[in-house]
Amino acid sequence: MRKFFKNIFFFVFFLIIAYPFMIFLSGYLPIPQTFKPNLNYRIGSYGHMFTRIKELNQLNGDVDILFLGSSHSYRGFDPRNFNDKKVFNLGSSSQTPIQTKFLLKRYLNKINPKMIIYDVYPGTFSIDGVESSLDLIANDKNDLESIKMAFELNNIKIYNTLIYAGFADFFNLNKNFVEPIKKGEDTYISGGFVENKIHYYKFDNYSKREWTFKEEQVKAFQEIISLLKKKKLKTILVYAPITPRLYNSFTNNNFLESTIIKRNHLEYYDFNNLMKLNDSLYFYDTNHLNLNGVKLFNKKLIETLKL
Amino acid sequence: MLFNSINFAIFLPIVFILYWLVINKNLRLQNSLLLIASYFFYACWDWRFLFLLMFSTLLDYYTGLKMQNAESLNRKGFWFWLSITVNLGFLGVFKYYNFFAESFTETISHFGLQINPATLNIILPVGISFYTFHGLSYVIDIYKNRIKAERNFVDYAVFVSFFPLLVAGPIERATHLLPQIKKERIFNYSKAVDGLKQILWGLFKKIVIADNCAQFANQIFGNSTDYSGSTLVLGAVFFTFQIYGDFSGYSDIALGTARLFGIELLRNFAFPYFSRDIAEFWRRWHISLSSWFRDYLYIPLGGSKGGMWMIIRNTFIIFIVSGFWHGANWTFIAWGALNAIYFLPLLVTKQNRNNLEIVAKGKLLPTFKELSQIAITFGLTVFAWIFFRAESVGHALSYISGIFSKSLFTIPKFPDIKPAIVTITILMFFVLIEWLGREQQYAIKKLGIKWKRPVRWAFYILLFFIFGMYMNTEETPFIYFQF
Repeated sequence: MRKFFKNIFFFVFFLIIAYPFMIFLSGYLPIPQTFKPNLNYRIGSYGHMFTRIKELNQLNGDVDILFLGSSHSYRGFDPRNFNDKKVFNLGSSSQTPIQTKFLLKRYLNKINPKMIIYDVYPGTFSIDGVESSLDLIANDKNDLESIKMAFELNNIKIYNTLIYAGFADFFNLNKNFVEPIKKGEDTYISGGFVENKIHYYKFDNYSKREWTFKEEQVKAFQEIISLLKKKKLKTILVYAPITPRLYNSFTNNNFLESTIIKRNHLEYYDFNNLMKLNDSLYFYDTNHLNLNGVKLFNKKLIETLKL
Repeated sequence: MLFNSINFAIFLPIVFILYWLVINKNLRLQNSLLLIASYFFYACWDWRFLFLLMFSTLLDYYTGLKMQNAESLNRKGFWFWLSITVNLGFLGVFKYYNFFAESFTETISHFGLQINPATLNIILPVGISFYTFHGLSYVIDIYKNRIKAERNFVDYAVFVSFFPLLVAGPIERATHLLPQIKKERIFNYSKAVDGLKQILWGLFKKIVIADNCAQFANQIFGNSTDYSGSTLVLGAVFFTFQIYGDFSGYSDIALGTARLFGIELLRNFAFPYFSRDIAEFWRRWHISLSSWFRDYLYIPLGGSKGGMWMIIRNTFIIFIVSGFWHGANWTFIAWGALNAIYFLPLLVTKQNRNNLEIVAKGKLLPTFKELSQIAITFGLTVFAWIFFRAESVGHALSYISGIFSKSLFTIPKFPDIKPAIVTITILMFFVLIEWLGREQQYAIKKLGIKWKRPVRWAFYILLFFIFGMYMNTEETPFIYFQF
């Protein structure tokens, strides 16, 4: 029996050493992504997160408005439209409440905002948040909070990527990495915004359906609310415009408003009801405003919130 | 609780340590622990069905004792039929009621009559087909005076609900398992290591082979009208490996886990895809179910002893019932009937026991003839699995007609073709390992036994790495849980 437990112990010990090393090699060697599906380290990926975090680290704090949310945030709130305010956009691709909570815990004290505007797109409550976590792991530093986030999502892809990121951070493998300001049709604008070359969307029609709300995302959202309340931070929740056809295809757009938002007496504005935007003229795809749409939305936001 | 879950990875070591370190050398306590652990394991799915399992266990235990003590044959028969009726009644209600109600309504509607059947919103209790068959074999064996009734309730309850086999088999026999439960068990290092190796290989089959093949099989079967004939063939091949990896992987984990506790379960798979004919395939696929039907259905019906028509009838009955056992759907019945059609020519020409040994025993490679036989048998099996996997018989037929089109001779094409190529590469590695280990109970049993420990451990670590790199990112249940 003793031999059995001794060998198990040693095997597990070697496994703990060998497995991360093999993960590191898989990430480091030029193996095509298809052959390493559960390791997805994408530094400088879609959405300019690397540059955004870099700019954030150079901020001196005391920001007037901090924007949070998914791509609807970093493609929807343009700092250039908030002239007299110091604003920063901490949106990231597919950012779900789990990642928002993580980012707030990490950066809230550093940014020290006077107000938070958080885009609560229901679509972010219906996904697991794996893609967004991978984005953060690759483009931001990693610490205990990253490990907590990995455990919260409990996904092998996140564990593997985090292991590789640990090596990458330790050996400073990204020291020479420079993310271009302009990537394809996207241009990074100081303050966290990503400007997309103007396009006009050819609309689609959709059948009726419902948003789904994952329990763990709703829980993370509630934790965000509690954290912000504890910090006594003025928080405004918004639902940024998506194409009216898409918006109207969902029958439960008011789910959050009628439940958590109401329960917590939060200030909330659904801009899909407050302004009427044409599907083609003001959007470049089914749920992202084009630059013309962003200007109108930001103007309406400033008027509504009396900023 | 799934075998491929974190919960099981915590549960198993706890039970193992309690079993061997805390209450070692006390058989009664060890069996009680196994029973509590098994009930906990089962309750993790749905605690309400634990009562059904307990009732079924109590019923068979009680009727077993009553049959043994019966003063007359009539009395014995009464208790026997009571147990059979109640067991099959539960199975019928939970598994087949809606199927019969809906099929009856559909048949009636062909005659222009409309009825509104009272279909029930029934959840199928996991493992009901397996533990019911455990109980049935026990009761039948007592009735036929093959065994004596078990007097110790805990021992009997462990026989029915031992957690490694509770939800998807192997379907055990009282003659095989009960004596092991009653016998003192001593920790054996080699057996425990062997158990761990079999668990490791089972996990590989499930997590890497089955779950990866599943995503492509689901994609192709789910949109079968959109794909070319060659892609549909690929989809059927993916499903063929999915079901093998899933079910034989489960069985390996079950056997390995039981071995950790000093218990040997019946072998359930013996490299079926290396079979040279369908008869051999059925001696190597889901062995515990095939032998159950042989002993408790085929032989009582007369087996192969009667005339030709009787043989044909019995063969069809056993395959159709076997198909129906898998689920309340015409697809399973069609799958069973198709296998009967495959099987009959061998039986009629008395060629059904030609290939009793594993192919190319003692050799590295098969002969050309053997290879051709394996390829033909594999092809027939792939074809039959289409019925098993399809949503309905209509879907299966449309899938097959899609295969036999001009596009059969084109290059397979579907959105995830690149990851599919990676999966095919892994499949080739898997088939190679299975081929090399085909003379053993499971593929990696003797693999590397002569290697030095660092090399052997490096191979196991490589398997863990493949798990981590290629496993599905979500825990997926085993297919046979639904049966």
